[in-house]
Amino acid sequence: MAEFYRERTVRQHDLPAELAKIANGALLLGCYATERTVRTLVLSKVGVLALRTPLEDGEAWESLTARYPLFADHEREMAAMQGIDLRGSPDLRPLYFRADAIPEAILAEGKGVSGVVVGPVHAGIIEPGRFTISTAGESVVHLDAQLSYSHRALEPWFEGRHALELVPKVARICGNCSVARSWAYARALESLAGIELDEGAEFARLILAEMERVHVHLFDLGNIAAGAGYGKGTTAALGLRERINQLNHAVSGHRLLFDSIVPGGIRVGTLSDPASLRTLLRELRDDVKRFLDAFFAKRSVLRRLEGAGIVEESLARRFGAVGPSARASGIACDVRTLAPYGAYRGFTLSEVQAHSGDVYARSEVRRHELERSFDLLERALRELGSVVLPVPVQIALPSGTMTTLVEGARGAESISLSLDGEGRVERLHVISAAFRNWPLVTRAMEGNIVPDFPLVNKSFNLCYSCVDR
Amino acid sequence: MSQRTFARSLGIRHLVCGSCNGCELEMNALAAPQYDISQEGWSIVASPRHADVITVTGPMTEAMRLAARKTIEATADPVVIVAVGDCASGEGAWCGVGSAGAGAGGELGAAVVVRGCPPTPDALREGLRAAATLLDKRNS
Repeated sequence: MAEFYRERTVRQHDLPAELAKIANGALLLGCYATERTVRTLVLSKVGVLALRTPLEDGEAWESLTARYPLFADHEREMAAMQGIDLRGSPDLRPLYFRADAIPEAILAEGKGVSGVVVGPVHAGIIEPGRFTISTAGESVVHLDAQLSYSHRALEPWFEGRHALELVPKVARICGNCSVARSWAYARALESLAGIELDEGAEFARLILAEMERVHVHLFDLGNIAAGAGYGKGTTAALGLRERINQLNHAVSGHRLLFDSIVPGGIRVGTLSDPASLRTLLRELRDDVKRFLDAFFAKRSVLRRLEGAGIVEESLARRFGAVGPSARASGIACDVRTLAPYGAYRGFTLSEVQAHSGDVYARSEVRRHELERSFDLLERALRELGSVVLPVPVQIALPSGTMTTLVEGARGAESISLSLDGEGRVERLHVISAAFRNWPLVTRAMEGNIVPDFPLVNKSFNLCYSCVDR
Repeated sequence: MSQRTFARSLGIRHLVCGSCNGCELEMNALAAPQYDISQEGWSIVASPRHADVITVTGPMTEAMRLAARKTIEATADPVVIVAVGDCASGEGAWCGVGSAGAGAGGELGAAVVVRGCPPTPDALREGLRAAATLLDKRNS
């Protein structure tokens, strides 16, 4: 089945009214610019709709942020990378900066309010970001997150290069969401080329994507345990994650599954022994269940998760949250169920939901998603049987524009791609789930105590590399 | 008189300069029970002032350059810089791409190089042991 992607041209003047019409019941995915054309992306049950808005010479972009806060950083990126004249945004600071020109952090004002700055180098093995925390006593009044320290201006470099030559680069935009992004990129190319994949290749892709989800969710739960001072839980989660990383290596030759999904199929040699994978995954599943049962029976640990970092449903909706973090606030946004792709089309999936919007809910969603992932793995491996997987199909690349979405471990990962007709990239834009969710982290901290920042932050555990690019 | 550096224990400060986070995932794996670096006497420390080793990842970015240099300057001599992964080693996917540098390890003067995209936990452990050996020499 072909991807469903439509474009419609809407003048800037008419855009707010169009969005108001569509926004109810659809998921706003953000916006991006190609030279002076802005595309606003919306996901509905039938697929992705891009509202295409060409700007006239000298025409500025009137910010949509006041009405839809989720656009804030998308618009700042258009200003920084395409030089779009952005007007009316509440935050006009440059999104990217050099070390000698770091924009002022936003500090709250008021009696007894003081500021604490941490980063960009942190006391752990984490990516760089600068956090300015305004506190009143122990409580956080405001958190200003300045990322951009991993910005390498990758997207302009992609332009003019051959789309197939970029495959290993796309797999390395971010180590946490490599499989999801490689899949989205492959689907964009296959969809433009108009090719369908063999069923076996689709099952194999689902298996790789769910194995990625398992290793990321286990890592996130281990980090949440660390944030709550539950060292035994962290060690157990890391031990289980190491086992899935070793399985990843056995099936793909890479512990994080880099390069396993390629345009036209999966890399030759991947998943060559599905029967033994099935056995080993069953053993792992039993041990993961024991770990989860123990974690979620520890009253004293759970009490530290409950009520911490609450994100109300309305807030998550306004900021366009995706993934487990949004589902923990009662939002249905799983791309696997909203707009199924690949082998997910053959399975009936119900979306995991929680409602309290706190660290507990975000942990609970991951717990149940881990169980679902093992279910999916079992079913897909059963379907796959012992077939010999096909070699990747050769694809011819016509010109065109496409946006594809894949549900990564952190939520909707999208690739927007324009090709020139000779296989070269005119535009390759990444919007990661982490990019979509970062604003939530800052809001979730308001009213919480400073020592809970690691706990609340890790309950989202967002990446930086795919955000900064 | 020569004395082994705190019986080869290491305080490690980790510095990310534009990595994809793959190297960080594998550095974190070192704390898993299968590797358990605490048994080697190694720990991730909360300040460069406490560090014997700086592990550095990524090609180097414009925004990180100053903080990276300040981190190195803040350490107490002797300290060994370990380039972790292909990008920091100057051979990775992002070296020289866009506004990225040619490799943070080369820029900061790494004495130990651990290759891999990302390096395996075993390779990381070997690299850190090599750093401990270098520290032994510098302390003697």
